[in-house]
Amino acid sequence: MPRDTPAEVFLETRALTRRFGGVQALRGVDLSLRSGGLYHLLGENGCGKSTLIKIISGAQPATSGEVLINGTPRPTLDPIAAQDAGIETVYQDFSLLPNLTVAENVALTRQLVATRGRLLARLDWGQMRALARDALRVVGLPGDAAFLGRSVDQLPIATRQLIAIARAVAARARLVIMDEPTTALTRREVAHLIRVIRDLQADGTALLFVTHKLEEAKEIGGTGIVMRDGAFVAELDMQTADLGHVAELMTNRRLDQSRYRAEAHKPDADAPPRLTVRGLARAGSYDDIAFDLAPGEILGITGLLDSGRNELALGLAGLDPPQAGTVTLDGAPVRLSGTAEAVAAGIAYVPEDRLEEGLFLEKSITDNVTTAVLGRLRGALGVISPTRARALARRMVKQLRIVAPDVGAPVSSLSGGNQQRVLIGRWLAREPRVLILHGPTVGVDVGSKDTIFRIIQAQAEAGMSVIIVSDDIPELIQNCDRIAVMQDGRLAQVFDGATAEPQMLYAAIGGIFDATEVPA
Amino acid sequence: MSTADTRATSGEGGIATPGTQRFAEWVAAHPSAFPLGLLLLTCALVAMINPAFLQIGNVYDLLRASVVTGLFALGVMVVLSSGGLDVSFTAIGALVMYVITRYVIDHAPDMPMAPILVAGLVGGCLLGVINGVLVNLLRAPALIITIATQYAFRGFLLTFIGTSLVMNIPASMSAFNDLTLVQGVNADGQRVRVPAYFLVFAAAAVVSWLMLNKTLIGRAVYATGARPEIAARLGFNVARVRVFAFAWAGALAGLAGILHVVSNRLANPFDLAGNELTVIAAVVIGGARITGGTGTVGGTISGVLLITLVGSVLIQIGVPSIWRTAVIGAFIIAAGIFYAWVDRAAGRS
Repeated sequence: MPRDTPAEVFLETRALTRRFGGVQALRGVDLSLRSGGLYHLLGENGCGKSTLIKIISGAQPATSGEVLINGTPRPTLDPIAAQDAGIETVYQDFSLLPNLTVAENVALTRQLVATRGRLLARLDWGQMRALARDALRVVGLPGDAAFLGRSVDQLPIATRQLIAIARAVAARARLVIMDEPTTALTRREVAHLIRVIRDLQADGTALLFVTHKLEEAKEIGGTGIVMRDGAFVAELDMQTADLGHVAELMTNRRLDQSRYRAEAHKPDADAPPRLTVRGLARAGSYDDIAFDLAPGEILGITGLLDSGRNELALGLAGLDPPQAGTVTLDGAPVRLSGTAEAVAAGIAYVPEDRLEEGLFLEKSITDNVTTAVLGRLRGALGVISPTRARALARRMVKQLRIVAPDVGAPVSSLSGGNQQRVLIGRWLAREPRVLILHGPTVGVDVGSKDTIFRIIQAQAEAGMSVIIVSDDIPELIQNCDRIAVMQDGRLAQVFDGATAEPQMLYAAIGGIFDATEVPA
Repeated sequence: MSTADTRATSGEGGIATPGTQRFAEWVAAHPSAFPLGLLLLTCALVAMINPAFLQIGNVYDLLRASVVTGLFALGVMVVLSSGGLDVSFTAIGALVMYVITRYVIDHAPDMPMAPILVAGLVGGCLLGVINGVLVNLLRAPALIITIATQYAFRGFLLTFIGTSLVMNIPASMSAFNDLTLVQGVNADGQRVRVPAYFLVFAAAAVVSWLMLNKTLIGRAVYATGARPEIAARLGFNVARVRVFAFAWAGALAGLAGILHVVSNRLANPFDLAGNELTVIAAVVIGGARITGGTGTVGGTISGVLLITLVGSVLIQIGVPSIWRTAVIGAFIIAAGIFYAWVDRAAGRS
């Protein structure tokens, strides 16, 4: 057990600081990572986690302080020097080059490191393929010529992640840093990932997870390193840690870990349903989907990544129209042939990937909040009234507790949680009758999660019907009246949110994730 | 292992059946297939309408007429693959060809062909470096920068160097034009030939292929073209890669300029301008995406042959040659639709 026999310290930082203009992102961080150790770097968005890993991986220099690798100070660490020293970083986008093949993505950087960044060197294709084949085998991927030659952009997310890890294996990494590694994965894929990681750890590789998912960190075990406001706060054993306490350390305030859904606001089951869905189908994605949604009800939909849950969400939003079935909204049939029809009918959809599908990052909060309601803000001659637009944006900023200097500030200047709230604000401004939230807290920190959950509850209490499509089981249990589990494109089981237990849901989903599957 | 390949083949959007998806993946892996197919289709069509088209002389003509466009296109393809865009290459070609021709006539009339070619290569390369350095320094889109340098290079040429035609080109250049690689006789008794300068294009194609496929900088070009921020994170010096790509394009444009003088037996400073879009069209038909990260030598050559062929065969099947641009436009639309379909059907994201 690596944790019981203290191995030598592989990486150390001393009084690391980093300043961006007037902002102090890191205020003297001392970190010490041992070979074969398993660490979770925990903290809210903007606490300096990303800056810290960028410095360690050579992507950014520190303003002051020292990085020591194997006890030697490394004042000039660039990406090649960091990789040469055995530090591999798997960012959220996996740092894969989509237009290159699997073999190149696994082994190309080895050649780059071997030539010390000198580019006018011959490529050794034979060596690259051999290296890639061995590394892919370690992470459980096929190493045949057909797979080696596939272009990475044709592969599913979970496979891409394993390829990124294979690159670390090929580099004989001594420290692998993974930035929110499980965000895009299903439980089954997470379990496989953790098995791969255990193998690396057994070989003496240190692992540092950067994560928001406290429950998962607890299940995986290891050492939790808590950061807040650019500084180190605490180090604790995740297996025995009280998650409420960890969240408190991260946010410096007391957070409610219990259910947000108040029983008193249970929707009236006898009232005519707001939304009636019958026989909804799309070939290869989902089939025979039928459910009712009452006014003010919160319905959770979950399932494995390939269960059809994402496609169903896109179908209900009119983004990827269903091919068969009927949808009735307050008694009137709705044709979901496109987003415009869904929006006109009163169905709003907040996408999972807020950066790529939702927000206009360079535009102001006002512009982002008002895009869906421009018609209402028209003044004389059909010109948008800037005063009314700003007033609406200010109301949303206040209602959603968005932390921003001004409604004119570009959305790119906000933290992840605040960006998500701007996106939700855009659709709340339309006062929809049904709000579909797709992964509402993906990449959002604990404090922002709390705010977003309170917003969702407030809207439901005001009579809005909400559908949450998510793979975050605790989030669904905390918020939903009912939770529907999808399997192979069908609604397999529906649970009552008040009585559902996480283990029941995981079992129903089919991606069982328990201690027996993850040897501790 | 279980998670790896079960969904890999099902695609993302589920819009393609397994058969069409396999086809799309095959096409994606063989980028020359589409322009080559179009080329053969066009030849077959023309031959059906006018069987006299099928003679060796037309092949020789096609090869000879492809040299200048082909050299430009190889350079543009490398820049596109690196995520940039270059519209200054004709200006580079014109400046290099005119300056060198004038210099040789005035100061070294006996200079042999080899150093003239090297001078064209080096001169174009230096102008390309200016493009690359400006793109890095100003952090502006490459299109804007190279529009600016196109005007700057051309303005410099016409203002400071000269505007007059040079009719009596150096003896070595004239002799190089006469040097023949292969020749034959057409059905009508006309003598047809492939000049030796075609070998310069062939060599440029081979060296470009080796650079892209057998060296680290080739992979760096594709990496930078697809995701510059990720390439930088992995340790590629993306600024250097950009300068390299523009320098490569400049060097080939310089060679193209020299060979333009050789084949026309005159140096006209107003020549070459206006051909930018034709060259870019050939590269795009050849499978290089305007968004960067793709582009192959084989595809580019096929695209160049296709565009050059369209320019010369319409007249042989009784279509007025003014239709040339419309036909090329149709090919570009077909290529755009086809490659977009390939991306969707192959489940790329």
